[in-house]
Amino acid sequence: MKFDDETLMAYADGELDAAQRAQIEAAIAQDPGLALRVQEHKALRARMTGAFSRVLDQPIPERLEAAARVGTRADAPARGNVIKFPARVTRAPSPPWGAREWIAMAASLLFGVLLSWRLLVPGNSGLFEAGKGGLLARGELARALESQLASQQSGEERVLIGLTFKTHDGNYCRSFVLRAAHTAGLACRVDSEWQIPATESSPGPEAGMQQASAALPPSILRIIEARMEGAALDAEGEENARLDTWNSSP
Amino acid sequence: MSDTSEEIGERIALLLPRLRRFARSLSRNQHDADDLVQTAVERAWRHLDQLRPGANLASWMFGIMKNAWLDNLRTRRRRGEVALPEDSGDHPAVSPIDTEAGLWAVSEAMNKLPEEQRLAVALVLVEGMSYKEAAGVLEIPMGTLTSRLARGRAALAAELAEEARGDIA
Repeated sequence: MKFDDETLMAYADGELDAAQRAQIEAAIAQDPGLALRVQEHKALRARMTGAFSRVLDQPIPERLEAAARVGTRADAPARGNVIKFPARVTRAPSPPWGAREWIAMAASLLFGVLLSWRLLVPGNSGLFEAGKGGLLARGELARALESQLASQQSGEERVLIGLTFKTHDGNYCRSFVLRAAHTAGLACRVDSEWQIPATESSPGPEAGMQQASAALPPSILRIIEARMEGAALDAEGEENARLDTWNSSP
Repeated sequence: MSDTSEEIGERIALLLPRLRRFARSLSRNQHDADDLVQTAVERAWRHLDQLRPGANLASWMFGIMKNAWLDNLRTRRRRGEVALPEDSGDHPAVSPIDTEAGLWAVSEAMNKLPEEQRLAVALVLVEGMSYKEAAGVLEIPMGTLTSRLARGRAALAAELAEEARGDIA
């Protein structure tokens, strides 16, 4: 199904109804190019919102505070009310970087450090191991990559499988999201191992989004687009690939 | 009118941060933006009788600011001060806050958009209004808003990508 840019834009802005959303999410699950376009819409929106939000924290110039209340002075109906007014005039504009913001930044920095430490230290989280060619999937992640079908997920699994596709060199790759760790990644099966060429922190699937691919960060989507041969596998293709234990045949 | 003018004054004052942000997304610097806010607030007081009871004060104020901004551009253009919005004469003032938040690049890119697209982008992407609310402020049908927003977004994305390439070069 084809979606024009206005529809994708409306989806990214949260303007579509549930039925339209479901249609697009199903299409996104099969088409990383579509997912990337939605991500680009969201990224531009976030950039615009972020860039101008600083204005909200700046102190309001005196002349504007005065202009806002000029009518109050001109035709104040009751003097009694005017007297208690100045008390409410003193809005406290939040300082650009108060303790709260610094703590939040420090916390997210620490979280990032902890996250990469947990990912990279072998055996610590049990999901990754450093191998010769990079990270390899282990434990629950390896099990999910090996056997879990995206088409049969409830959305409650700790590891969510997103897109499954074949690469130019004939291997299978699957995208995944670790829900608790807010991490998305790509795994490719090479020599009977699931290698992890890319991971990225991810906000996690948004509420009401069952498709793990909808939560993939743009960096992962770009890698998928670069590696993918043809289209992503549908439910049947995914199941057949699993039956063949991910042994690619030309 | 149900509200006293104190209450109206207080509600307008509470809208000032958002009005300044909207104005900043339409202007090249904060000084011009604050001039626009002042014009809009003064107009609002002069035309307070046109605010229908129960109407959304924020939407009404944003609409007034939209008109004030367009009037301002037209006047300056008539006087020959500006041929196009992006040629607004003096170099834009760059405050530390502008550079810090990456605001400057985004603001310059916004400035290159046609007015109608800039308004749609400002209300939806910067102010976070729904399409319906933004169409109401701009007094245009939803379909018109959507197409202006889509075109504005595409132009903005192209402009920002262009600029990112320029930074690397």
